[in-house]
Parts: sequence; structure tokens; C-alpha cells
Amino acid sequence: MKIVVCVKQVPEISNVRINRETGTLIREGVASILNPFCEYALDLAVHLKKESPGTEVIAVSMGPPQTRSALMRCLELGADRAILASDRKFAGADTWATGKTLAAVIKAAVPDFNLILVGKQAIDGDTAQVGPEIAEFMGLPQVMYGVTAEFGKTRKRIRVRREVESGYEVVEMRLPGVVSASKGRLIRRLPSLKAIIDARSKPLKTLTAVDLDIDDSHLGLKGSLTQVVRIFPPQSRADGRKLEGLDPEGARKAILAFLQAQHYVEGGQPSC
Amino acid sequence: MYEIMTEFIQPADIGQVHCIKGFEEIQRRFPVYLSDESKLSGAHADYLFFPADEAELAAVLVEMKRLKAPVTFSAARTGISGGCVPPRGAVVSLERFDRILSLRHEPSAGEWRILAQCNVLLRDLNRQAMDKHFPELERRHSSADAAALAAYREDTRTYFYPPDPTEMSASIGGTVATNASGARTYRYGPTRNWVRRIRVMLASGEVLDIPRGRYFASPTGDVTVQDAGKNQIVLRIPDYPAPRTKSTSGLYAAPNMDLIDLFIGSEGILGVVTTVEVALLEKHDKLSVVQFLQSDTQALDFVEALRKDARVRPDFIEFYGPGALDLLRKRQADDPKAVGMPPLPGPGTTAVFFEVSFDPDAEDPGVGVLETIAARCGASSEDSWAGYEMRELDRFKHFRHVLPETVNGIIAQRKRHIPELHKLGTDLAVPDDRLRDMWAVYRDTLDGDGLEWVAFGHIGNNHLHVNILPRDLHELEKGIAAYDRLAAQAVAFGGVVSAEHGIGKIKSRLLSLMYSDAQINQMRSVKAALDPGMMINPGDVLAE
Repeated sequence: MKIVVCVKQVPEISNVRINRETGTLIREGVASILNPFCEYALDLAVHLKKESPGTEVIAVSMGPPQTRSALMRCLELGADRAILASDRKFAGADTWATGKTLAAVIKAAVPDFNLILVGKQAIDGDTAQVGPEIAEFMGLPQVMYGVTAEFGKTRKRIRVRREVESGYEVVEMRLPGVVSASKGRLIRRLPSLKAIIDARSKPLKTLTAVDLDIDDSHLGLKGSLTQVVRIFPPQSRADGRKLEGLDPEGARKAILAFLQAQHYVEGGQPSC
Repeated sequence: MYEIMTEFIQPADIGQVHCIKGFEEIQRRFPVYLSDESKLSGAHADYLFFPADEAELAAVLVEMKRLKAPVTFSAARTGISGGCVPPRGAVVSLERFDRILSLRHEPSAGEWRILAQCNVLLRDLNRQAMDKHFPELERRHSSADAAALAAYREDTRTYFYPPDPTEMSASIGGTVATNASGARTYRYGPTRNWVRRIRVMLASGEVLDIPRGRYFASPTGDVTVQDAGKNQIVLRIPDYPAPRTKSTSGLYAAPNMDLIDLFIGSEGILGVVTTVEVALLEKHDKLSVVQFLQSDTQALDFVEALRKDARVRPDFIEFYGPGALDLLRKRQADDPKAVGMPPLPGPGTTAVFFEVSFDPDAEDPGVGVLETIAARCGASSEDSWAGYEMRELDRFKHFRHVLPETVNGIIAQRKRHIPELHKLGTDLAVPDDRLRDMWAVYRDTLDGDGLEWVAFGHIGNNHLHVNILPRDLHELEKGIAAYDRLAAQAVAFGGVVSAEHGIGKIKSRLLSLMYSDAQINQMRSVKAALDPGMMINPGDVLAE
């Protein structure tokens, strides 16, 4: 079995600040990390490998050369090898062009894959589009928001427990297919010292545009259907008011008075 | 030079110094100034001062001398030996001495230095040094500051202040007064090693400005201080030998010592440090590792192997004894998020936590030797946690704090039923060649007494924090007696009764285990020479 895990390097979100004048992210001094949802996808892959010995886990990413560090993290956490697609032609890609490029990378480098795992979304863009796009471009079935997964006995199908609004749903999908991972275990794993040392001798291959069977017009900014015009932080809201020390009737009156003052309700009754 | 002159500071008008008068008023409105992290009880103060500068501080000292009221200095109050808990007289808060004064490059030493007032907090000093952002200096618009800042920012390296006594809300002056150390002392030494200059206000209100490398004890062990009235005060440096391990147990003394070292670690009994210049060090990427081991013996083997191998230069080597991991395992079962780490291995295991330099982008980051060392000790590098990203290093740092928090939580719970109960925490250190002996003494003494205890801390410096958790008053009594036996044994091994917490008021009884009456009197003589009225920090270090 071959499991491809598509991952993204993202800025550590807690540190991100936005330059209000230019509308761009201030990346200076901000650490780059493996997107947490991609780490959960990798966790699923490592779990499946444990259940199915002989499985190979291949981490794939598209990005500038420094993306190697996110792939190194994957190798430390249990991937067997990694592939970085890096080329100036990929720069400026939106989710559409990224999905196309990653699909082309997988076709070129791991044509005999059985399963593609992705994080449900990246914590920087939050689009949750790339996984489903890869599935569509490759003509594969997809199950999104998976939290656990296990192969069927014949390994021709996968059973995924996925998050839905009302709780969880267990679905089965034929392979090959795409599964996106939602929040994983409560406490993130830590590699061992041995894993960190061994990761550095695992294969990490770089592909460029010429290695892919895809026309340049589908790549990067040129191949993108959307473009980010501006990034800005949401307007901060004023602090809420807390009413304390009131009995239920007093609280009811105070809240009603507030809603009336704000014209949310009229005459003591909700207006809608 | 064997002679130094004081600098006269014109005292401000005492009426201008912000002051709260009356014990009840202080207790009602400002109780925090009657306590520190030691939670020592019995504090009393009739005055609480908030001087803004040296002139106001001098005014307080002159006025209190006139009123014959002793003075206790207080800054961030993070100490755990009761050093800044006032027994009577006045408590003087130094919290307004909170400015970074300058940044400069010292070409002769090839190092960047920061000059800061005593109540600049370690976390602020470090954050500003690492971010290269000094709001105070930037606001001043001085051309010298601007030039130094520009040069500092042009330097592509990142710098930090190495002493890390865990409590980063400690003040720089407090850490100088206590020669604070902590885990990283293993590699970088204690605070003493990083202090380049201090200004100390004496009980007279005059100041000694002491750069390192200028004033020394004479071959006969004397330093002469000439005050503003041309009086000559001769300080006779104590002649006891310097301990063979890190120490904050009484006044530091060594032949021909630098005068600055007499004040560093003196716990403020000779004068109050108002300003400190410290050196910064280039920061490198680090790899944190928690190596699990099958027994305490295996852990000791591993520690000794780490220390002996010249290819490894850990920043720190910390220890979690079997009891400590048991406690963490229980906490993890109750609340996995509080521990924040993957499941701990089974009962009986110990762990050694250390950090080494590491270049994550290097093809061979040079840490393979750690695997070899582990294997030689019968352990496997597979049984470890390791991380180097900032978020992971923060995780490890959090993990380091979980154990003391857990211990404190247990004691707090027991105190609800027996309010007199408290934790007994040792701060003993011994020389390298006595680590195994001391560990055996801890185990035999505390297990022999049937006490609940955990050991953790700075094993690299043979400086474990053994926490005894008494379950009732009988065990508390037994624990106190055991503590004294442990301290006496550490001293017999050539160690110290306090390696980093200081003597303060709580441990002055232990000082006599380390020093003879004559040696303690030598310390008293130094204090009496500089503070004839025994006015400042009464009861600290030297029992009244």
C-alpha cells in the first residue's frame, strides 16, 4: 500500500501580524510550521501503516525551498520519504492551481498510490479547498473531515469516521481515494531522538515543473482562477457587557432594556 | 586596585518620596509587600517606600537611619527564602527602577551589554534583547542610543541573556543579589558570570560603582572603601574556601577576588544593587530531549556519560526521579492536557531532560553521539521525546513546570485539612564526584523514614530539588529532621546547603552546617563594616 500525504507549511498562526498599510502578512520573525491539520493527516497515515505493515507513507508538498523543513518534520513523525515540488513557476498559485500541481506531482512521482490524505484545511488560508480539488482533478472519491480510518480486510476499501454537524458518521469508500483529516489526538505526538536522526537519511526528493506532465499555463499565478487582493484583520468588537448580581427577573429586565435600546426588540417583545 | 571610593548621592527631600505609613494601612492596602513566594509569615513594616531614583533611595536610607528603623528591600518578590519579607521597620520597593538605560558593544570582550535598573524583569530584558526592540531607548532619541541600536540590529545574530532561573518574572537586581542560577547554569554558569558592572547603594546612602576587573582583594584579603567623608573602611574578605559547586550559601569569598563578586549573591545584606550591566550571548538553535531510562542507576550512568563526552555540550541536564514520573503519570491520567505531552512510559522509569545545540537544516546535525551514549548506558534513543521548533521547545519548557505545579497542588489540597502543613524543598548541591553518594543518601534517608518524596532538577550540577510531601504534622516533623540530616550530609560531601534559592530568613539555621562560628563572624564583620547599624535586610543570611 502507498499512502500519499499532502502537506503545507504555514506561519505559526499565534504570531501572525498584518501590515495594515500593505495588507500583507508580516512574516519576519514568524516561525514556519507544518500545518496542524496536515500533521493529523500524517498521524492517520502512520496509524494505517501500523495496522498494515509494508505500507509506505510519502509526504508531498508544494512550496519554496524552505518547505523542506515541513517535510523533514513529516519524516521525523513517520513518513518514509518526501517529495517537494518547488519551482518559480508554482509561485502565486491559488487553491485551484495548487490542487492541479499536487495532482500532477502525485501522478508523476507516486502513480501507484492507494490513498491520498490531506489536512481538512490550512490554518493560514482556511479554504479547505485543495483536498477536494485534488480528488476532482484525479477523478477520485473523497471523504472529508475524517478523524479515524481503517483499511478493509482486502485493503480495497477504507472505513472513515468523519465529523458531521450532528456528530460523527462512518462511511466506507473504495480505494484509491482522498480523505481529509480533521482534528486529531488531543495531545500532539513528539518524535524520538532516533526518529529525528533517522529522518535526515530518509529520501527527500525535489521535483520541478519539467518533471510534471502539466502545461505551464495551469501553474502558479498564471493557472490561478482567484487572486488575494488584500488581507486585513477583522474589526475588533467592543467588549461585551456582563451583568452580575441580578436575580432572574432583574436580569430579564436589564437584558430587555438593552435590546430595546439597541432597537433589536420593540415594546418588550422580540421584533422578529 | 585594592581601594575604592564611594559616590555621594545628594538625598532628595524625604517628603517627596512616595510612602505609605502604618502597618495596618500597609497590610490593608498593600499586603503583597509583606510577602514573597516563600509565603513566610510574621512580616511587619511601619513604612512602605516607593523611591523613584537613587536620590530618593538615599533619602529613605538617611531618614530610616535617623529613625533607627531597619530597611528591607523588595523588588519582584519571586524569592522563596523570605529575603524580602520585612520583619520590622521599612520595606522599600524598588519597582520604579524599571528602565533599560543603555545598550552597547564592548569591543575588548567582543560582546553586547545591556545596562538596566534593578527592577527590569528577566523576561523583559530577554524579549527586548532577542526582538532587538528597546522601547525605552527608542523613546529617548539620544544619538548614542540610536547608533548602538542601529549597530545591534545590523548584527544578523540573535542574542540573549543566558541566566535562566526558571522564574523569568524575577528582577535583574534580585537575581544579582542572589546570584541566581537554574538549569542553564550547567553550560553558562550562574548570574555572576554575566555581570559586568553594578552600582550598589550602601546603608549610608552612598554608592559604589563597581565594574568587573577593576577592584580586587589585596593579597592579605583586604579591600578599602573610602567614603565621602574621607573615612576609610577596611573590608576583610572571609578566608573560608569557595565551595566546589554552585552556591548561594553566604558571602562569596576567594583569594584576590574581584570586589564585584562580594556583592553578587550577598542577598542584599551589604547594600542594594540599583543598576546592573550584563553581557549577552549569541543564541543558537537548540534540540530538547527527554531520554527515558529504566532505573535511577541507569539515569546516573547517562548523566555521567553526557558530562564526560567532550562532543556533547548540553545547555542543561535535568532529572526526573521515579517518584516524579509517577506523580506526572497520575496527573496525565487525570488531565492529559495539563501535562501536554504524549503518554509517559511505565512505572519505575526515570528521565533525563537535556538540551544541545542543533542545526535542523544540516545534513548531519551532529547529535548521533547521543544515541551512542544512550546505548552505552543500556537505553535506547527510541525511548525519548525530542523537539527543536520553537513551539516544541515551549512545550518542553511547560513540561518542566508541570511537576513543581503538581507538587504545590497536592500540598495546597492537604493544607485545606491541615493548614500548618507545607512542602519541604531541598536546594542542596554536591561536587560531581559525590552525585551517586548523595543520591543514595536521599533514597535511603527518605524511603527509610517512609516519607512521600519526589526528586527533580539540575542533576548536571549535582543539584537536585528533593520535595518532601508530608501527609500530616508527624510527617512534617520527620521531614524537617530528615532535611537537616540531608543538608549535613551534603556539606560533609563538600557541598552546599543552598545552591540557588539563597539563605534568606528561612535557611539561616542551615548556614552553621557549612561554616564555623568564626567563619560566620567573618561574614558579620564585612556586613558591620559597610552597614554598622545592621540596618539593611535584617535577618537575611545572618540570623539576628
